[in-house]
Amino acid sequence: MLELADVHTYYGNIRALRGISLSVAPGEIVTLIGANGAGKTTTLRTILGTVRPRRGTVRFNGQRLDTLTTDRIVRLGIAQSPEGRRIFPRMTVLENLELGAFARRDREAIAPDLERAFTLFPRLRERSAQKGGTLSGGEQQMLAIGRALMARPALLLLDEPSMGLSPILVDAIFRIVQDINRQGTTILLVEQNARMALRVAHRGYVIQTGRIVLHDAAAALLRSDLVRKTYLGEK
Amino acid sequence: MRRGLPWTALLVALILYPFVDRALGFQTVHAVSDGMIYVLLALGLNIVVGYAGLLDLGYAAFFAIGAYSMGLLNSPVLGSPLYGHPWSFWLCIWLAAAVSALLGVVIGAPTLRVRGDYLAIITLGFGEIIPVAIRNLGDVTVEIGSWRPIERLNLTGGENGVNPVGRPYLPSVPFETDPVPWYFLILIIGAASLWAMNRLRDSRLGRAWMAIREDETAADCTGVNPISTKLLAFALGASFSGFAGSVYAAKLQAITPGAFEFQVSIMLLCMVVLGGAGSLKGVILGGMLITLFDRVVLTQTTFMVRAFGRTTGVTALATADLTLWRWFFFGLGLVLVMLLRPEGLVGRRVRPAPITAADLEDGLEVAPAPRVDAIPAWLRERAQGGVAAATPILDVRGVTKRFGGVIALNEVDLLVPRGAIIGLIGPNGAGKTTLFNVVTGLVRPDGGRMIFDGGSLVGLRPNAIVARGIARTFQSIRLFQNMTVLENVLVGEHCRLAASVPGAVLRPPSVIAEEGRARVRARELLAFVGLGGQEDELARNLPYGDQRRLEIARALATEPRLLLLDEPSAGMNPREAETLTELIGLLRRELALSVLLIEHHMEVVMGISDRITVLDYGTRIAEGTPAAIQRDPRVIEAYLGTGYEQDLAGRESAR
Repeated sequence: MLELADVHTYYGNIRALRGISLSVAPGEIVTLIGANGAGKTTTLRTILGTVRPRRGTVRFNGQRLDTLTTDRIVRLGIAQSPEGRRIFPRMTVLENLELGAFARRDREAIAPDLERAFTLFPRLRERSAQKGGTLSGGEQQMLAIGRALMARPALLLLDEPSMGLSPILVDAIFRIVQDINRQGTTILLVEQNARMALRVAHRGYVIQTGRIVLHDAAAALLRSDLVRKTYLGEK
Repeated sequence: MRRGLPWTALLVALILYPFVDRALGFQTVHAVSDGMIYVLLALGLNIVVGYAGLLDLGYAAFFAIGAYSMGLLNSPVLGSPLYGHPWSFWLCIWLAAAVSALLGVVIGAPTLRVRGDYLAIITLGFGEIIPVAIRNLGDVTVEIGSWRPIERLNLTGGENGVNPVGRPYLPSVPFETDPVPWYFLILIIGAASLWAMNRLRDSRLGRAWMAIREDETAADCTGVNPISTKLLAFALGASFSGFAGSVYAAKLQAITPGAFEFQVSIMLLCMVVLGGAGSLKGVILGGMLITLFDRVVLTQTTFMVRAFGRTTGVTALATADLTLWRWFFFGLGLVLVMLLRPEGLVGRRVRPAPITAADLEDGLEVAPAPRVDAIPAWLRERAQGGVAAATPILDVRGVTKRFGGVIALNEVDLLVPRGAIIGLIGPNGAGKTTLFNVVTGLVRPDGGRMIFDGGSLVGLRPNAIVARGIARTFQSIRLFQNMTVLENVLVGEHCRLAASVPGAVLRPPSVIAEEGRARVRARELLAFVGLGGQEDELARNLPYGDQRRLEIARALATEPRLLLLDEPSAGMNPREAETLTELIGLLRRELALSVLLIEHHMEVVMGISDRITVLDYGTRIAEGTPAAIQRDPRVIEAYLGTGYEQDLAGRESAR
C-alpha cells in the first residue's frame, strides 16, 4: 500500500533521512521506533509531502507521492495526527472534528463518523462546544487523533499518540488504535512508547540516525536485544 | 570582530561624501542629510518593532513630537523664552528627546496589555490623533461659564505650523548657509545612536526585548518583567525619534502637520521590514535604499521618461511624474520582499545550521549522562544558603480556581519540603498544569494561600515569583526560538543581573564584569546539561530532546530554590527518560533543589519522587509515597488503569 524506497531527506545541509526503505501492507499496523532526532517525524513528513526527499521514491497504491502537494496526498486517503497536536485553538472541538472531514465528498457519512469519534473519546463529547485551545494537553491529543480519523483515511499516520497522556489513557489510545485498525484502517505508528507500540503492531522498523537498522515482526522485535536495551529501558 | 571592517568602510565613505559631492558638483548633501534623518527614525522604530516585536504603525507621531518640542521651545512664533539664546538648540534637542521618551511611556502604557494586531490598531489610531491634535491646537480657548482662563492660546501654530525654528549655534560654523555642517551634525547623532543601539542589543535589556518578542509568557516566567521591558522599548524608540524630529525641525526651519502623516509611519516601517527587522545593518540598508529611490531614482527617472516622451512625441510620457507613484513602488517593493525574502535583505535567516559529520554519526542517539563534577560551582554555592530549615519551601493551602463554570482546582493542598521531589500526577485535564500556572503567577487563584519560603505568592507577577526563587519548564516546550542557545540561558540570568540602560550603553567596568560572569555561567550550565559546544546554534534548530534540556538549563539560570517541571520526559524513550531522571536526582542531591514534577512516565515519577499528590477533576484524591499511590484503588481507577498493574508485573518478571 505504502512503499518508501531509498528515501533521502535533508533539512538544509542536515541529512535527516539517509536511505529509508519501508513498506506498509493493507490492513497492517506498522510501527516506527527510534530515539529523538533519529528521523521518525521526518519520515512521516516526507510521506505527507511537507518536506521533499532529495532522493528516492514514495508510492501509495502505486502512485508517486513525492511530486504531489500535501493537500493532494491527503485527498488520496492519507491522514495524520501530528506530533505536538497542532489543533485549531480558536475553533470549538466540534469544528475541529468537522474540519477533519473537509476533503470528503460523502457528506451523509460524516455524522456517523462524528459519533464514532465521540464514542472513542467521550471526553471530546463533554467538551464539544469548548474552544480547542482551552483543552488540556491530553485532551488536545485526543482531538488531534479524532480529527485525523474524521478524514476516514485508508492510511492513518500517528505521530506519538501517547505523548502526554496518563497511563490509563495510554492504554485506551492503543486499544483505540487496534479498534481503528480492525475497522479497516491501515496505520503507520510512530512512538516513543516502544513497548506498547510493539504490542499492538504487526511489524516494526527501528530507525537510528536516519537509517533503518532493524525490521521484523513486532513480537520478534520485542525479544531483540537491541530493542530491549535501547528502547524498552531493560537492563 | 568580523563585522568591524564594513562598518569602518561605511563611516569613512560617509565622512568623505560631502567633499566628493562638492568636488563633483552634485549638490545632494541636503537630500542625503534628510535621508539620514529618516534612517535614524527607522533605527528607533527598529527597537520597538525589530527587537521587542511590538508592531507600531504610528511611529511618525513620535517624530512629530520631537519636531514640535523643538518648535515650541525654540521659535519666536510661539513666544518661546529660549528663542534667540545661542545655545538653545543644544538644550532643546535633549528636551525633545526627553519629551518624546515620556510620551512614549504615556502612549505605551495603555497598549501593554494588548498584543499583535490590537497593538498595531492602537498605534495606528495614535498616529492619526497626533497630526489632528497639532492642527487643532493652534487656537485654544477654554471657557467655563463666562470665565475664560485660556483664551486663543496658540500651542502649535495650527495648520500654518511653526516658522521659523531656531538654528544651532557653534562659533564660526555656518549652519545658516552651508548644508555640510548639518550633514556632519546628523552623521554624528546617527553614529552615536547606532553605537548606543548596538550596545543595547547585546545587553541584558536587548535580550529581554527579544525574549518578549519571541514568547512573552515564557519571558515573564523566566524573570523578565514584560511591562517595564516594553515601556523601555517604547521610551527608547521614541527618544531616538525625538532627536531626529528636533534636528529635522531646526534644519528645515519650519514644520507643518503635513510632514507627520500616516504615510511617514508606513515609509519608516518599509525601511525596517525591507532591510530586516532586528538587524541594524539591515535597517540602515533599507533606509538608504528607500531614501535613495525616493529622492534620486524617482526624480531622475522622471526626467528621463519626460525626455523620452518629448523625443517620441508621447504627451502622456512627456508630462509624467513618477514621484506621484512613490507609494505604488513602496507597496510593490514590500510585497516582493515578503514573497521572496520575508526576513528582509539582511535579516537573520532562519535555517538549520550545517551539522558536522561527527554529530550525525552517534551524537544524536543518546544524551550524555549528567556528571556530578560538571555542576557549576556558583550554582552549588547558591544552594548552600537555604538548606536544613524545617519549614517547607512551598506550602499551598486550599487553592481554588474556576474558569467560567468549570472548577479547575478545588481546595487543593500541596506541601513541598525543602530538598524534596514531589510528583504531581492525575488524568489529563485534572488541573495539574493549572496548579503550576497558579503557583508561578500566570493564573490568579480565586481563593487559598500559597506560602513560598515564608512569603505569600498570591498576587505576584510571574517575573516577581521567579525572582523569589521558583523556576519552571513548560509542557509544550517554550524556548525563545530565534535566539541562540546561549542567549536563552542568559535571559534566564536576567533577574540576577543589574545592568540598567545607561550601564548597558556606557559599559562601566562593573557591567563588563557582570556580563562576562553571566556568559561564563551560561556556558557552564550548558556544559552541565550536555549542550556544550552548541552555544551559538538557534534554539529552534535543536532536536527535541536537546530543547527539553535547554529549557531546564534556562530555568536553572534563574538560580531557583524550587523547580517546577511540567512533563519533562514527554516524547522521550525510556533510555532518554532515565538520563533525565538522573539529572533531576542530581539537582536535588547536590544542589538541595526542591522539585515539583508533573509526569506521566511512571518509571520516572515513581522512581524519584519522595511523595506523590494525585489530582482528579481539580481535587486532590490521594497523597502519599510512591508505593502507597501505586496500590491506591482510586488512583488505579482514575489514572493508572489496570493495564499499568499488568505492565508493572510484566516488567518485574522480565528483570
